[in-house]
Amino acid sequence: MSESSAKESPAEKAEAPKFQPKYNWMNKTRSWGMRALPGKAGLKLGDLNMGIYGEIPMHWDDQSRNPRGAVPRRGMPPVGYAIRDKGGLWADCAADLYEEAIQRRWAPATDVPWDSIEPLPDDVEHAVCQVCTELTQYANVDIETITGWQHQMSYGYHEVKQYLATATFDAARHYECFRKRALVNGGGLGLEGPGQVNRMILESRGGWTEAVVYLFLVRGVFTMTLYRYLGRYAHNDAERFIYGHALADKARHVTYALDHLKFALAHVEDQQLVTATLLAIGDNGLARDLRDPVLKEALAIIFGGGIDGARQQGMEVYHALMRDYVDTHLAYCRWLDIPRNPAALPPPLNEYVDAPADV
Amino acid sequence: MSRFPSVDWFDEVRAVFNADDSYRGAGGGTCNCTAGMKIGDDIFVLTFEGIECSRAVVADEAALDDVDFYLDMPRGDWLEMVKNIAANGSADLHHTLNTLDLDREDGLATSHHGDQYREDLFFRYNQTLQFFFNASARIKSEYA
Repeated sequence: MSESSAKESPAEKAEAPKFQPKYNWMNKTRSWGMRALPGKAGLKLGDLNMGIYGEIPMHWDDQSRNPRGAVPRRGMPPVGYAIRDKGGLWADCAADLYEEAIQRRWAPATDVPWDSIEPLPDDVEHAVCQVCTELTQYANVDIETITGWQHQMSYGYHEVKQYLATATFDAARHYECFRKRALVNGGGLGLEGPGQVNRMILESRGGWTEAVVYLFLVRGVFTMTLYRYLGRYAHNDAERFIYGHALADKARHVTYALDHLKFALAHVEDQQLVTATLLAIGDNGLARDLRDPVLKEALAIIFGGGIDGARQQGMEVYHALMRDYVDTHLAYCRWLDIPRNPAALPPPLNEYVDAPADV
Repeated sequence: MSRFPSVDWFDEVRAVFNADDSYRGAGGGTCNCTAGMKIGDDIFVLTFEGIECSRAVVADEAALDDVDFYLDMPRGDWLEMVKNIAANGSADLHHTLNTLDLDREDGLATSHHGDQYREDLFFRYNQTLQFFFNASARIKSEYA
Protein backbone atom coordinates (compact mmCIF):
# COMPACT_ATOMS: atom_id res chain seq x y z
CA MET A 1 0.00 0.00 0.00
CA SER A 2 1.43 3.36 -1.00
CA GLU A 3 1.71 6.18 1.48
CA SER A 4 -0.84 8.23 -0.38
CA SER A 5 -3.48 5.47 -0.43
CA ALA A 6 -3.05 4.87 3.33
CA LYS A 7 -4.26 8.37 4.09
CA GLU A 8 -8.00 8.98 4.14
CA SER A 9 -9.40 11.88 2.26
CA PRO A 10 -11.70 14.27 4.20
CA ALA A 11 -14.65 12.79 2.33
CA GLU A 12 -13.74 9.23 3.28
CA LYS A 13 -13.28 10.33 6.91
CA ALA A 14 -16.77 11.74 7.00
CA GLU A 15 -18.20 8.50 5.67
CA ALA A 16 -16.42 6.25 8.21
CA PRO A 17 -18.81 4.71 10.78
CA LYS A 18 -18.70 6.69 14.01
CA PHE A 19 -18.84 5.30 17.53
CA GLN A 20 -22.42 5.86 18.56
CA PRO A 21 -22.69 5.82 22.37
CA LYS A 22 -26.03 4.57 23.64
CA TYR A 23 -25.54 5.31 27.36
CA ASN A 24 -28.06 2.64 28.13
CA TRP A 25 -26.03 1.62 31.22
CA MET A 26 -27.05 4.90 32.75
CA ASN A 27 -30.45 3.66 33.85
CA LYS A 28 -28.91 0.62 35.51
CA THR A 29 -29.10 1.98 39.01
CA ARG A 30 -31.56 1.32 41.75
CA SER A 31 -31.55 4.42 43.88
CA TRP A 32 -30.74 7.41 41.72
CA GLY A 33 -31.10 10.63 43.71
CA MET A 34 -30.54 9.12 47.15
CA ARG A 35 -27.62 10.82 48.89
CA ALA A 36 -25.45 9.60 51.73
CA LEU A 37 -24.81 12.47 54.11
CA PRO A 38 -21.68 12.88 56.20
CA GLY A 39 -22.18 13.13 59.96
CA LYS A 40 -20.10 14.78 62.66
CA ALA A 41 -17.37 12.17 62.22
CA GLY A 42 -17.32 12.38 58.41
CA LEU A 43 -18.90 10.06 55.85
CA LYS A 44 -18.60 6.67 57.49
CA LEU A 45 -19.03 3.24 55.97
CA GLY A 46 -22.15 2.64 58.04
CA ASP A 47 -23.68 5.91 56.79
CA LEU A 48 -24.01 4.30 53.34
CA ASN A 49 -26.44 1.68 54.62
CA MET A 50 -29.62 3.46 53.58
CA GLY A 51 -32.46 2.30 51.36
CA ILE A 52 -31.63 -0.75 49.31
CA TYR A 53 -27.95 -0.34 50.15
CA GLY A 54 -28.75 -1.06 53.76
CA GLU A 55 -30.64 -4.26 52.99
CA ILE A 56 -28.39 -7.02 54.27
CA PRO A 57 -30.15 -10.35 53.77
CA MET A 58 -29.65 -13.46 55.87
CA HIS A 59 -28.47 -15.34 52.76
CA TRP A 60 -26.55 -13.87 49.85
CA ASP A 61 -27.53 -15.70 46.66
CA ASP A 62 -25.28 -13.81 44.27
CA GLN A 63 -22.10 -15.78 43.61
CA SER A 64 -20.32 -13.03 41.71
CA ARG A 65 -18.30 -10.05 42.87
CA ASN A 66 -21.28 -7.80 42.36
CA PRO A 67 -21.17 -5.05 45.00
CA ARG A 68 -24.24 -5.06 47.25
CA GLY A 69 -26.88 -2.82 45.68
CA ALA A 70 -25.42 -2.81 42.15
CA VAL A 71 -27.34 -4.19 39.18
CA PRO A 72 -26.06 -7.68 38.36
CA ARG A 73 -24.71 -8.46 34.91
CA ARG A 74 -26.23 -11.56 33.36
CA GLY A 75 -24.03 -14.50 32.55
CA MET A 76 -21.34 -13.85 35.14
CA PRO A 77 -19.64 -17.12 36.12
CA PRO A 78 -19.90 -17.93 39.85
CA VAL A 79 -16.85 -17.26 41.98
CA GLY A 80 -17.73 -19.97 44.46
CA TYR A 81 -17.92 -18.17 47.78
CA ALA A 82 -18.26 -20.64 50.62
CA ILE A 83 -19.64 -18.19 53.20
CA ARG A 84 -22.94 -16.82 51.97
CA ASP A 85 -24.99 -16.97 55.18
CA LYS A 86 -25.05 -13.89 57.37
CA GLY A 87 -24.85 -16.12 60.44
CA GLY A 88 -21.43 -17.32 59.30
CA LEU A 89 -19.63 -13.99 59.58
CA TRP A 90 -21.83 -11.04 60.46
CA ALA A 91 -21.23 -8.54 63.26
CA ASP A 92 -23.25 -5.31 63.48
CA CYS A 93 -20.18 -3.44 64.68
CA ALA A 94 -18.02 -4.31 61.66
CA ALA A 95 -18.50 -1.02 59.79
CA ASP A 96 -17.71 1.03 62.90
CA LEU A 97 -14.69 -1.13 63.74
CA TYR A 98 -13.42 -0.62 60.20
CA GLU A 99 -13.60 3.16 60.61
CA GLU A 100 -12.02 2.95 64.05
CA ALA A 101 -9.14 0.80 62.79
CA ILE A 102 -8.43 3.15 59.90
CA GLN A 103 -8.61 6.20 62.11
CA ARG A 104 -6.52 4.80 64.97
CA ARG A 105 -3.76 3.32 62.81
CA TRP A 106 -0.13 3.69 63.83
CA ALA A 107 3.21 3.16 62.13
CA PRO A 108 5.83 1.15 64.04
CA ALA A 109 8.72 2.59 62.01
CA THR A 110 8.14 6.18 63.06
CA ASP A 111 5.58 6.28 65.87
CA VAL A 112 7.36 3.93 68.28
CA PRO A 113 10.08 5.84 70.20
CA TRP A 114 12.78 3.29 69.36
CA ASP A 115 15.53 5.50 70.73
CA SER A 116 14.12 5.07 74.24
CA ILE A 117 15.42 1.48 74.25
CA GLU A 118 18.63 1.08 76.22
CA PRO A 119 20.73 -2.01 76.93
CA LEU A 120 19.09 -4.46 79.33
CA PRO A 121 20.72 -7.25 81.38
CA ASP A 122 21.28 -10.27 79.15
CA ASP A 123 18.73 -12.48 80.91
CA VAL A 124 16.01 -9.84 80.56
CA GLU A 125 16.86 -9.13 76.93
CA HIS A 126 16.78 -12.87 76.18
CA ALA A 127 13.34 -13.06 77.79
CA VAL A 128 11.96 -10.04 75.93
CA CYS A 129 13.24 -11.47 72.64
CA GLN A 130 11.74 -14.88 73.38
CA VAL A 131 8.33 -13.37 74.12
CA CYS A 132 8.54 -11.22 70.99
CA THR A 133 9.39 -14.31 68.95
CA GLU A 134 6.20 -16.02 70.11
CA LEU A 135 4.10 -12.87 69.64
CA THR A 136 5.46 -12.62 66.10
CA GLN A 137 4.23 -16.15 65.47
CA TYR A 138 0.81 -15.30 66.90
CA ALA A 139 0.57 -12.32 64.54
CA ASN A 140 1.55 -14.45 61.59
CA VAL A 141 -1.20 -16.92 62.42
CA ASP A 142 -3.69 -14.02 62.56
CA ILE A 143 -2.63 -12.94 59.07
CA GLU A 144 -2.76 -16.40 57.52
CA THR A 145 -6.03 -17.35 59.16
CA ILE A 146 -7.96 -14.19 58.32
CA THR A 147 -6.75 -14.02 54.73
CA GLY A 148 -7.41 -17.75 54.34
CA TRP A 149 -11.10 -17.18 55.06
CA GLN A 150 -11.62 -13.68 53.76
CA HIS A 151 -11.72 -14.59 50.08
CA GLN A 152 -14.45 -17.12 50.85
CA MET A 153 -16.79 -14.44 52.21
CA SER A 154 -19.38 -13.15 49.77
CA TYR A 155 -19.58 -9.50 48.80
CA GLY A 156 -23.03 -9.11 50.31
CA TYR A 157 -21.33 -8.66 53.66
CA HIS A 158 -18.65 -6.24 52.57
CA GLU A 159 -18.49 -4.48 55.96
CA VAL A 160 -17.05 -7.64 57.53
CA LYS A 161 -14.62 -8.19 54.65
CA GLN A 162 -13.41 -4.62 54.97
CA TYR A 163 -13.05 -4.76 58.74
CA LEU A 164 -11.13 -8.03 58.50
CA ALA A 165 -8.79 -6.38 55.99
CA THR A 166 -7.86 -3.91 58.72
CA ALA A 167 -7.49 -6.76 61.23
CA THR A 168 -5.02 -8.40 58.85
CA PHE A 169 -3.14 -5.15 58.62
CA ASP A 170 -3.16 -4.85 62.43
CA ALA A 171 -1.61 -8.31 62.58
CA ALA A 172 1.01 -7.36 59.98
CA ARG A 173 1.86 -4.35 62.13
CA HIS A 174 2.18 -6.57 65.21
CA TYR A 175 4.42 -8.98 63.29
CA GLU A 176 6.55 -6.03 62.26
CA CYS A 177 6.89 -4.35 65.65
CA PHE A 178 7.61 -7.50 67.68
CA ARG A 179 10.24 -8.55 65.16
CA LYS A 180 11.73 -5.08 65.34
CA ARG A 181 11.75 -5.13 69.13
CA ALA A 182 13.56 -8.47 69.09
CA LEU A 183 16.21 -7.18 66.72
CA VAL A 184 16.65 -3.59 67.85
CA ASN A 185 18.60 -4.21 71.04
CA GLY A 186 21.08 -6.86 69.99
CA GLY A 187 19.12 -9.90 71.16
CA GLY A 188 17.44 -11.20 68.05
CA LEU A 189 14.76 -13.83 67.68
CA GLY A 190 14.60 -16.76 70.09
CA LEU A 191 13.13 -20.24 70.04
CA GLU A 192 10.06 -21.08 67.98
CA GLY A 193 6.96 -21.59 70.16
CA PRO A 194 5.31 -25.00 70.56
CA GLY A 195 2.52 -24.01 68.18
CA GLN A 196 -0.32 -26.38 69.15
CA VAL A 197 -2.79 -23.49 69.12
CA ASN A 198 -1.29 -22.10 65.92
CA ARG A 199 -1.89 -25.41 64.17
CA MET A 200 -5.38 -25.75 65.65
CA ILE A 201 -6.37 -22.30 64.38
CA LEU A 202 -4.79 -22.68 60.94
CA GLU A 203 -6.19 -26.15 60.37
CA SER A 204 -9.74 -25.47 61.52
CA ARG A 205 -12.06 -26.25 58.63
CA GLY A 206 -15.50 -26.00 60.19
CA GLY A 207 -16.20 -22.47 59.00
CA TRP A 208 -15.20 -18.92 59.83
CA THR A 209 -17.17 -18.96 63.10
CA GLU A 210 -15.05 -21.87 64.30
CA ALA A 211 -11.90 -19.98 63.35
CA VAL A 212 -13.22 -16.95 65.27
CA VAL A 213 -13.65 -19.06 68.40
CA TYR A 214 -10.06 -20.32 68.25
CA LEU A 215 -8.41 -17.19 66.88
CA PHE A 216 -10.08 -14.56 69.05
CA LEU A 217 -11.92 -16.12 71.98
CA VAL A 218 -9.04 -18.45 72.90
CA ARG A 219 -5.81 -17.05 71.44
CA GLY A 220 -7.00 -13.45 71.13
CA VAL A 221 -8.06 -13.08 74.75
CA PHE A 222 -4.81 -14.75 75.88
CA THR A 223 -2.79 -12.36 73.70
CA MET A 224 -4.73 -9.38 75.02
CA THR A 225 -3.87 -10.42 78.55
CA LEU A 226 -0.20 -10.79 77.61
CA TYR A 227 -0.16 -7.30 76.09
CA ARG A 228 -1.66 -5.79 79.23
CA TYR A 229 0.92 -7.38 81.52
CA LEU A 230 3.84 -6.73 79.19
CA GLY A 231 2.74 -3.08 79.03
CA ARG A 232 2.65 -3.03 82.82
CA TYR A 233 6.22 -4.36 83.01
CA ALA A 234 7.62 -2.49 80.01
CA HIS A 235 11.26 -1.45 80.24
CA ASN A 236 11.03 1.73 78.19
CA ASP A 237 8.64 4.03 76.33
CA ALA A 238 9.00 2.01 73.12
CA GLU A 239 7.68 -1.16 74.77
CA ARG A 240 4.92 0.79 76.51
CA PHE A 241 3.87 2.23 73.18
CA ILE A 242 3.97 -1.11 71.38
CA TYR A 243 2.00 -3.09 73.97
CA GLY A 244 -0.50 -0.28 74.59
CA HIS A 245 -1.30 0.15 70.91
CA ALA A 246 -1.28 -3.56 70.12
CA LEU A 247 -3.76 -3.97 72.97
CA ALA A 248 -6.18 -1.50 71.37
CA ASP A 249 -5.90 -3.33 68.04
CA LYS A 250 -6.45 -6.70 69.67
CA ALA A 251 -9.43 -5.35 71.63
CA ARG A 252 -11.09 -4.51 68.31
CA HIS A 253 -10.51 -8.06 67.10
CA VAL A 254 -12.11 -9.44 70.25
CA THR A 255 -15.01 -6.99 69.93
CA TYR A 256 -15.69 -8.26 66.41
CA ALA A 257 -15.54 -11.83 67.71
CA LEU A 258 -17.97 -11.19 70.56
CA ASP A 259 -20.42 -9.39 68.29
CA HIS A 260 -20.19 -12.06 65.60
CA LEU A 261 -20.61 -14.90 68.07
CA LYS A 262 -23.65 -13.15 69.62
CA PHE A 263 -25.16 -12.96 66.14
CA ALA A 264 -24.26 -16.52 65.23
CA LEU A 265 -25.61 -17.88 68.52
CA ALA A 266 -28.90 -16.09 67.91
CA HIS A 267 -29.31 -17.17 64.28
CA VAL A 268 -27.52 -20.45 63.68
CA GLU A 269 -29.09 -23.63 64.96
CA ASP A 270 -27.08 -25.51 67.59
CA GLN A 271 -24.34 -22.88 67.53
CA GLN A 272 -24.34 -22.59 71.31
CA LEU A 273 -23.39 -26.22 71.92
CA VAL A 274 -21.08 -26.28 68.92
CA THR A 275 -19.23 -23.28 70.34
CA ALA A 276 -19.00 -24.95 73.76
CA THR A 277 -17.48 -28.03 72.10
CA LEU A 278 -15.03 -25.90 70.13
CA LEU A 279 -13.98 -24.09 73.28
CA ALA A 280 -13.29 -27.39 75.03
CA ILE A 281 -11.03 -28.34 72.12
CA GLY A 282 -9.45 -24.88 72.16
CA ASP A 283 -8.76 -25.08 75.89
CA ASN A 284 -6.92 -28.34 75.38
CA GLY A 285 -4.76 -26.85 72.65
CA LEU A 286 -3.90 -23.85 74.79
CA ALA A 287 -3.22 -26.07 77.82
CA ARG A 288 -0.74 -28.14 75.79
CA ASP A 289 1.08 -24.97 74.72
CA LEU A 290 1.15 -23.71 78.30
CA ARG A 291 2.79 -26.93 79.53
CA ASP A 292 5.82 -25.94 77.48
CA PRO A 293 7.94 -23.94 79.97
CA VAL A 294 9.59 -21.49 77.57
CA LEU A 295 6.99 -18.73 77.45
CA LYS A 296 6.25 -19.04 81.17
CA GLU A 297 9.92 -18.74 82.11
CA ALA A 298 10.52 -15.81 79.78
CA LEU A 299 7.49 -13.96 81.14
CA ALA A 300 8.55 -14.65 84.73
CA ILE A 301 12.00 -13.18 84.01
CA ILE A 302 10.41 -10.03 82.57
CA PHE A 303 7.98 -9.70 85.48
CA GLY A 304 10.67 -10.44 88.06
CA GLY A 305 13.31 -8.18 86.54
CA GLY A 306 15.72 -11.05 85.90
CA ILE A 307 16.35 -14.73 86.63
CA ASP A 308 16.72 -14.11 90.36
CA GLY A 309 13.42 -12.29 90.60
CA ALA A 310 11.67 -14.73 88.28
CA ARG A 311 11.47 -17.51 90.87
CA GLN A 312 9.30 -15.60 93.32
CA GLN A 313 7.91 -12.29 92.12
CA GLY A 314 8.04 -13.20 88.45
CA MET A 315 6.06 -16.39 88.93
CA GLU A 316 3.55 -14.65 91.18
CA VAL A 317 2.85 -12.13 88.42
CA TYR A 318 2.68 -14.94 85.86
CA HIS A 319 0.04 -16.68 87.98
CA ALA A 320 -1.88 -13.41 88.26
CA LEU A 321 -1.75 -13.10 84.48
CA MET A 322 -3.13 -16.60 84.07
CA ARG A 323 -5.90 -15.95 86.60
CA ASP A 324 -6.84 -12.80 84.70
CA TYR A 325 -6.87 -14.71 81.42
CA VAL A 326 -9.11 -17.47 82.76
CA ASP A 327 -11.41 -14.93 84.47
CA THR A 328 -11.74 -12.84 81.33
CA HIS A 329 -12.23 -15.82 79.06
CA LEU A 330 -14.95 -17.28 81.28
CA ALA A 331 -16.61 -13.86 81.64
CA TYR A 332 -16.85 -13.63 77.86
CA CYS A 333 -18.35 -17.12 77.73
CA ARG A 334 -20.93 -16.17 80.37
CA TRP A 335 -21.80 -13.01 78.44
CA LEU A 336 -22.25 -15.08 75.30
CA ASP A 337 -24.32 -17.58 77.29
CA ILE A 338 -22.06 -20.46 76.31
CA PRO A 339 -22.22 -23.22 78.92
CA ARG A 340 -18.81 -23.85 80.46
CA ASN A 341 -17.72 -25.87 83.42
CA PRO A 342 -14.63 -24.12 84.83
CA ALA A 343 -13.81 -27.13 86.98
CA ALA A 344 -13.45 -29.19 83.83
CA LEU A 345 -10.79 -26.96 82.29
CA PRO A 346 -7.65 -28.96 81.51
CA PRO A 347 -4.53 -28.42 83.62
CA PRO A 348 -2.88 -26.01 84.03
CA LEU A 349 -5.88 -23.77 83.21
CA ASN A 350 -7.99 -25.31 85.99
CA GLU A 351 -5.41 -24.16 88.54
CA TYR A 352 -6.43 -20.58 87.85
CA VAL A 353 -10.18 -20.93 88.29
CA ASP A 354 -11.48 -19.08 91.30
CA ALA A 355 -15.08 -18.64 90.23
CA PRO A 356 -17.75 -21.19 91.11
CA ALA A 357 -18.87 -23.53 88.36
CA ASP A 358 -21.57 -21.86 86.27
CA VAL A 359 -23.07 -25.01 84.83
CA MET B 1 -6.44 27.11 88.45
CA SER B 2 -9.10 24.45 89.00
CA ARG B 3 -9.70 22.10 91.84
CA PHE B 4 -9.55 18.35 91.29
CA PRO B 5 -12.11 16.82 91.16
CA SER B 6 -14.63 19.22 89.64
CA VAL B 7 -16.36 19.90 86.34
CA ASP B 8 -14.17 22.99 85.95
CA TRP B 9 -11.08 20.80 86.23
CA PHE B 10 -12.35 18.34 83.64
CA ASP B 11 -13.38 21.24 81.37
CA GLU B 12 -9.87 22.67 81.52
CA VAL B 13 -8.39 19.28 80.69
CA ARG B 14 -10.91 18.91 77.86
CA ALA B 15 -9.83 22.23 76.39
CA VAL B 16 -6.18 21.13 76.32
CA PHE B 17 -7.03 17.65 75.04
CA ASN B 18 -9.40 18.84 72.30
CA ALA B 19 -6.94 21.45 71.01
CA ASP B 20 -3.91 19.18 70.62
CA ASP B 21 -3.66 17.32 67.32
CA SER B 22 -0.87 15.12 68.65
CA TYR B 23 -3.43 13.18 70.69
CA ARG B 24 -5.18 12.13 67.47
CA GLY B 25 -2.36 10.44 65.60
CA ALA B 26 -0.31 7.33 66.21
CA GLY B 27 -3.07 5.14 67.52
CA GLY B 28 -5.06 7.86 69.28
CA GLY B 29 -8.04 9.44 67.61
CA THR B 30 -11.69 8.61 67.22
CA CYS B 31 -13.22 7.62 70.50
CA ASN B 32 -16.95 7.18 71.03
CA CYS B 33 -17.98 6.31 74.55
CA THR B 34 -19.39 7.60 77.80
CA ALA B 35 -17.04 7.02 80.70
CA GLY B 36 -17.86 7.48 84.36
CA MET B 37 -15.26 8.65 86.88
CA LYS B 38 -15.99 7.60 90.43
CA ILE B 39 -13.63 9.61 92.59
CA GLY B 40 -14.42 8.55 96.12
CA ASP B 41 -18.01 9.72 96.55
CA ASP B 42 -17.87 12.17 93.64
CA ILE B 43 -19.06 11.01 90.26
CA PHE B 44 -18.52 12.61 86.87
CA VAL B 45 -19.46 11.46 83.40
CA LEU B 46 -17.28 12.27 80.39
CA THR B 47 -18.60 11.99 76.86
CA PHE B 48 -16.14 11.27 74.07
CA GLU B 49 -17.40 11.88 70.52
CA GLY B 50 -15.19 11.51 67.47
CA ILE B 51 -11.89 13.16 68.23
CA GLU B 52 -13.13 15.25 71.15
CA CYS B 53 -14.16 14.94 74.73
CA SER B 54 -17.38 16.88 74.27
CA ARG B 55 -18.80 17.05 77.78
CA ALA B 56 -18.09 16.60 81.46
CA VAL B 57 -20.92 16.64 83.97
CA VAL B 58 -21.47 15.90 87.63
CA ALA B 59 -23.54 12.77 88.04
CA ASP B 60 -24.91 10.43 90.66
CA GLU B 61 -24.61 6.70 91.25
CA ALA B 62 -27.64 5.98 89.05
CA ALA B 63 -25.91 7.61 86.08
CA LEU B 64 -23.28 4.88 86.21
CA ASP B 65 -25.96 2.45 84.98
CA ASP B 66 -25.85 4.17 81.60
CA VAL B 67 -22.14 4.71 81.00
CA ASP B 68 -20.14 2.24 78.91
CA PHE B 69 -17.71 1.75 81.80
CA TYR B 70 -16.49 3.71 84.78
CA LEU B 71 -13.18 4.12 86.55
CA ASP B 72 -13.51 3.56 90.27
CA MET B 73 -10.86 4.41 92.87
CA PRO B 74 -10.80 5.95 96.33
CA ARG B 75 -10.17 9.68 96.28
CA GLY B 76 -6.63 9.23 97.61
CA ASP B 77 -5.66 6.94 94.73
CA TRP B 78 -7.08 9.38 92.18
CA LEU B 79 -5.10 12.18 93.79
CA GLU B 80 -1.94 10.12 93.64
CA MET B 81 -2.53 9.45 89.94
CA VAL B 82 -3.18 13.05 88.88
CA LYS B 83 -0.33 14.35 91.04
CA ASN B 84 1.99 11.80 89.45
CA ILE B 85 0.90 12.99 86.02
CA ALA B 86 1.42 16.61 87.00
CA ALA B 87 4.89 15.85 88.33
CA ASN B 88 6.07 13.81 85.34
CA GLY B 89 4.19 15.39 82.43
CA SER B 90 2.46 12.04 81.89
CA ALA B 91 1.73 8.97 83.99
CA ASP B 92 4.77 6.96 84.98
CA LEU B 93 4.67 3.19 84.60
CA HIS B 94 3.08 2.72 88.04
CA HIS B 95 0.24 5.16 87.42
CA THR B 96 -1.05 4.40 83.94
CA LEU B 97 -4.69 3.37 83.63
CA ASN B 98 -3.54 -0.08 82.49
CA THR B 99 -1.27 -0.52 85.51
CA LEU B 100 -3.91 0.66 87.95
CA ASP B 101 -6.44 -1.69 86.38
CA LEU B 102 -4.04 -4.64 86.78
CA ASP B 103 -2.58 -3.81 90.17
CA ARG B 104 -5.74 -2.98 92.06
CA GLU B 105 -7.55 -5.85 93.75
CA ASP B 106 -10.88 -4.91 92.15
CA GLY B 107 -9.40 -3.42 89.00
CA LEU B 108 -10.05 0.12 87.84
CA ALA B 109 -12.54 -0.13 84.97
CA THR B 110 -15.90 -1.71 85.66
CA SER B 111 -19.60 -1.36 84.88
CA HIS B 112 -23.00 -1.93 86.41
CA HIS B 113 -24.38 -3.64 83.32
CA GLY B 114 -21.65 -6.26 82.90
CA ASP B 115 -21.88 -5.92 79.12
CA GLN B 116 -18.48 -7.15 77.93
CA TYR B 117 -18.89 -5.45 74.59
CA ARG B 118 -19.21 -2.04 76.26
CA GLU B 119 -16.70 -2.69 79.03
CA ASP B 120 -14.05 -3.52 76.43
CA LEU B 121 -14.23 0.04 75.12
CA PHE B 122 -11.82 0.73 78.00
CA PHE B 123 -9.21 -1.37 76.17
CA ARG B 124 -10.05 -0.10 72.69
CA TYR B 125 -9.74 3.52 73.83
CA ASN B 126 -7.17 3.07 76.56
CA GLN B 127 -4.58 5.20 74.78
CA THR B 128 -7.03 8.05 74.25
CA LEU B 129 -8.12 7.94 77.88
CA GLN B 130 -4.48 7.99 78.94
CA PHE B 131 -3.82 10.94 76.63
CA PHE B 132 -6.79 12.70 78.23
CA PHE B 133 -5.48 12.34 81.76
CA ASN B 134 -1.93 13.10 80.63
CA ALA B 135 -3.27 16.41 79.28
CA SER B 136 -4.02 17.36 82.90
CA ALA B 137 -0.28 17.88 83.38
CA ARG B 138 -0.66 21.02 81.29
CA ILE B 139 -3.18 22.77 83.53
CA LYS B 140 -2.69 24.22 86.98
CA SER B 141 -4.49 22.12 89.54
CA GLU B 142 -5.27 22.33 93.18
CA TYR B 143 -6.34 19.26 95.03
CA ALA B 144 -9.29 18.83 97.35
